[in-house]
Amino acid sequence: MELEELKQIWQEQDRKLEISLRLNRRILYESYTGHARWALRRLALALGVGALGLLAVIVFLGAFIHNNLHVARMAATAALVDVFAIVALGAVFRQIALALRINYFEPVAGIQKSLEQLRQARIRYVQSVCIMAPLLWFPLFVVWMQAAFRVDVYSTFDVKWIVTNVAFGLAAIPVGYGLLRKLGHRANARLLRDIAGYNLNAASAFLARLDEFEREA
Amino acid sequence: MPVNDQQKFETLVENHKKILYKICRLYCRNAEDREDLGQQTVIQLWESFPSFDEGRCTFATWMYRVSLNVAISWYRREVVRLRHIVPAGEHMFHIAGESDGQSDELRLIHQFIGKLDELHKALMLLYLDGYSNREIGEVLGITETNVTTKISRLKKTMRQEFTSTERA
Repeated sequence: MELEELKQIWQEQDRKLEISLRLNRRILYESYTGHARWALRRLALALGVGALGLLAVIVFLGAFIHNNLHVARMAATAALVDVFAIVALGAVFRQIALALRINYFEPVAGIQKSLEQLRQARIRYVQSVCIMAPLLWFPLFVVWMQAAFRVDVYSTFDVKWIVTNVAFGLAAIPVGYGLLRKLGHRANARLLRDIAGYNLNAASAFLARLDEFEREA
Repeated sequence: MPVNDQQKFETLVENHKKILYKICRLYCRNAEDREDLGQQTVIQLWESFPSFDEGRCTFATWMYRVSLNVAISWYRREVVRLRHIVPAGEHMFHIAGESDGQSDELRLIHQFIGKLDELHKALMLLYLDGYSNREIGEVLGITETNVTTKISRLKKTMRQEFTSTERA
């Protein structure tokens, strides 16, 4: 059978479909006026809230550094967290910019590429936050104790305890990542697959396929 | 949005419901998924409706772009977010004799399209619907030459596939 023959069969079926197909207008109406939320809008909202949160953290840390300039170790600890927060904010802004660029009425290849780039950026962001979390908790604890209770962790807590915690935080990064890589393929939850990098690989593979689809001629 | 626009939207979707049905049919395996995708597509069509410019393209072309974009994203998503919006027993599409009305040839077409990836599925659908290579290129965002190459490659693949099926 040739493609042209199939085209004729298809178009014949198309004519029959016209006669037999009925659209449930009530469901059609409910779909677009109902409470269903589009994933992209939800994502944009979540990113907006996340960006505001990070901005608040950066402002707070800025004030903290200013107030503790005379205590070098405090200012340095806060500056370390601040750098992470600024990088994270940059990543969130990039995701917002990518999300705003998406218009579903534009040609398929371009939009699918933007959607996949957004997915890639989001996965990389979640992955980095989760991987850095064990290391970041300690400087955050130091800043929090000083800001909220005026307690200098460095002089109040035992040096061994501090070193152990920092070492644990550092060790948790490769161990956690390795564990996820090992167990991630069995996970059904999207977050786990995101952190383990499986979804990132899938997104990259689709982008490569899209490139090929656009290029080949 | 004004009531007039709402009515215009409903009429246009009603007149082009076949597009919605065919895309859902090609990208989903079961009726439940078709309903989900159908609803997500309608939501996106409604949200994008203010961007529809009659001077730039026909409603059918615009609807194909939006619907294919939604369907491909939906197809690629591992977990379907919208579930059970439709009360049991009610469906967006009603087709008289849907289950037994398919010819062998049509089943073959669906089988063949089913094996294609999400991008080639879109190309095939537009081709079978009688769109020109230039129009297909406009919807998909690729060049006309690229469309021609892909179609001739698809023809070749199909010929091989059907020959091997006949032999078997």
